[in-house]
Amino acid sequence: MSVSEIAKREAKAEREYMKKHKSAIRQKPSDIVFNVINYFVFAVFTLVCIFPFYYLFINTISDNELVRKGLINFVPRGIHFENYIRLLQVNDLFGSFGVTLARTVLGTLLMVLASAFVGYLVTQQDMWGRSFWYRFLVITMYFNAGIIPWYLNMAMLGLTNKFWAYIIPGIVAPYNIILVKTYIESAIPGELQESASLDGASHLKIFLTIILPLSKPILATIAIFGAVGHWNSFQDSLILMQSAPQLYTLQHRLYIYLNTTSNLAALMSAGSTSGISKSVLDSALNGKVIKYTIAMVTIIPILLVYPFMQRYFEKGIMIGAVKG
Amino acid sequence: MSKEKVTKIVYYPYRIISVFLLIILFFPGLNVARISGLINRSTSLLTAGFSYGNLIANFGRAFKKGWVMESTMHLLNISSLFICLGIMACAIGACLSLGNRKCRFVGNLISTVGAVVSAFSMWGIWSAYFQIAATTKPSKVEPMFQNFYYIMVVLLIVMVILSVLELVFVGRPSKDEKFEMETRFKLFLMFLPFIILAFVFCYLPLYGWRYAFFDYKAGDTLSMDSFVGFKWFAQLVRNKSTTRDIINVMKNTLAMSGLGIATSWMPMAFAIFLSEIKNSRFRRFVQTFTTIPNFISWVLVFAIAFCIFSTDGFISSLMMNLGIWTEGKNFLMSGSHTWLKMLCWGLWKGLGWSAIIYIAGISGIDQQLYEAATVDGAGRFQKMWHVTVPGLMPTFYVLLLMAVAGILSNGMDQYLVFENSSNTSQIMVLDLYVYKMGIVKGAIPLSTVVGMLKSVISVTLLYVANTISKVLRGETIV
Repeated sequence: MSVSEIAKREAKAEREYMKKHKSAIRQKPSDIVFNVINYFVFAVFTLVCIFPFYYLFINTISDNELVRKGLINFVPRGIHFENYIRLLQVNDLFGSFGVTLARTVLGTLLMVLASAFVGYLVTQQDMWGRSFWYRFLVITMYFNAGIIPWYLNMAMLGLTNKFWAYIIPGIVAPYNIILVKTYIESAIPGELQESASLDGASHLKIFLTIILPLSKPILATIAIFGAVGHWNSFQDSLILMQSAPQLYTLQHRLYIYLNTTSNLAALMSAGSTSGISKSVLDSALNGKVIKYTIAMVTIIPILLVYPFMQRYFEKGIMIGAVKG
Repeated sequence: MSKEKVTKIVYYPYRIISVFLLIILFFPGLNVARISGLINRSTSLLTAGFSYGNLIANFGRAFKKGWVMESTMHLLNISSLFICLGIMACAIGACLSLGNRKCRFVGNLISTVGAVVSAFSMWGIWSAYFQIAATTKPSKVEPMFQNFYYIMVVLLIVMVILSVLELVFVGRPSKDEKFEMETRFKLFLMFLPFIILAFVFCYLPLYGWRYAFFDYKAGDTLSMDSFVGFKWFAQLVRNKSTTRDIINVMKNTLAMSGLGIATSWMPMAFAIFLSEIKNSRFRRFVQTFTTIPNFISWVLVFAIAFCIFSTDGFISSLMMNLGIWTEGKNFLMSGSHTWLKMLCWGLWKGLGWSAIIYIAGISGIDQQLYEAATVDGAGRFQKMWHVTVPGLMPTFYVLLLMAVAGILSNGMDQYLVFENSSNTSQIMVLDLYVYKMGIVKGAIPLSTVVGMLKSVISVTLLYVANTISKVLRGETIV
């Protein structure tokens, strides 16, 4: 038995001893104080993070008159879901929802496919000028011309006030390409590709039958981040869609509602909710509730996909920490 | 000279010209089909060819009054369409020119046909122009002739000649030859569309920096008459009110970035103290719910702020119900402590999320180090300070350097949504200022100058940070 093995064995024995006797060692008072404070601080911060969502939610489902008086603080009262149903009558909101959904689905799909394909291509050593073109893509992460030249460029390409302005610029996402490339290089054995190509499979076939199925985890990660990004997008709608209100994203629409004076009558006279019918106005639905409900509708999809997203957080962030 | 060699040489201009022609299709500024002022300025040749509705968008009155005949516009539309298709055929030919004899032969056939069709279609635009020029109302229809037309004709004729030359030189392939291309070119051609996309959306905007040197208002065309050199750069230091604005904006930008950097240790502390919690369920719970705010947009954060801090929000109604206040207060409309408030919102949104990378880092630290420290009699805080913190330092350095490099880029979403009349002078950061100046007020050249300086400084800072990292730690960060 070598010296190092003995040392290892001793260390192991010691660890087991400590584990066994841990519960027996009584906590010192200072430890108890530390633990109490620690738990308390984290509990408070967590509460601060979730309470606003809860507050928003109970105010959208409680009796509108009580909400107007500011009486709903901690517990919902007079629960009803009419606010959500009434929201369907706000036409331009419905349109924005459709636009946002469409860009999220289409934009994410194209981005993921493109990232997977390009990520695969840049692992192919025998491409003409591979490292140059790879750098050509990656370097775009570190500079940008600025928002005005970007806007003028989009105008020059005739993409302003067009739905495709949401989709096309996002297709090539260098960071995601790096993630996919790193994943393919580290997790998919090169022999698989080699043997397939010896069997006469083309690059496209290798991509479709080997790379795409095997890189599902990383593709799920970038898909989720891409989808959240599309859902939350606001700036491109604000800048590019200045004369196409029917193409505003949900976030942009919400921003407009939040900035309009707080009662619904003012909202109506401003002409931004021309779709709201008289009956809605007559009911006690006030500006505050409509804002809260729209915000809630915008948040809910994120909260729904959140449990699925969580699995991929750490994976994404850790692979991202490894440079391309 | 052998045929092979000539073929090879002739292919270079052939490829360059076809790429050039392809790019022209996308530029409204080089649209030869814009023969009337009524055609939208942002219409490219591609749009003119493929979207008749877009082409005649402003012609309703002209058609009704008989100033322009509809057949003229149809002619223009169809000519543009054929030019586009022809040029695309040339581009396909250029791609195929990377392959074997059969590929090249077919490519040459396609591009010959394409170039001839395009060149002939140019005549359609020519005659459409003369029909429009003969209008009874020139002041309304504004007939115009693009001088670029001649260059385009020359390019297309050269393309025809080159295609025919190649067709002759390459010659017919033998019957049993198959389409083949070297793997390296095949891979490159698959990559090409993405290179073009990256070029168009990331590199092409740099061309917009030229606006910094012109006296330009939205909708103008650039001409050398409006060239002003470094006037706008000089204005930053000469014009009193601009200088005052810039100084204020820089103060806000640096203050808020500085506060962000000064609190950049907090995610690390969050992770370290969270790992001290032994109850894994509670730990999981905290981690789950503190990351949620990261995934909602700044507009939604503002909605949250609105429902908590506005006049009839949570705080106000609670205080009124308790009888402490007689009327609600709107915290969002006050201009005090704006920097701190913005920092707090940033932390609320990002703290839990930023901690994840450190949490992952802690689980990567060797447990034996802790055991050794325990044996040496180290207490809880000593272990944190002497084992955990040094273990996380590399990650911290990288993130810190990145934060320093991005000191001018706070983004604009957060500040845009929280901005209002009472806090505007404290909240105006560089990105927001550029947006307000350029897009809202239309001062395009000046805002381009500011954005340009910002980009250059940011890239320089990143380079410096990278160099520092290389010297100190022997590793690059980008």
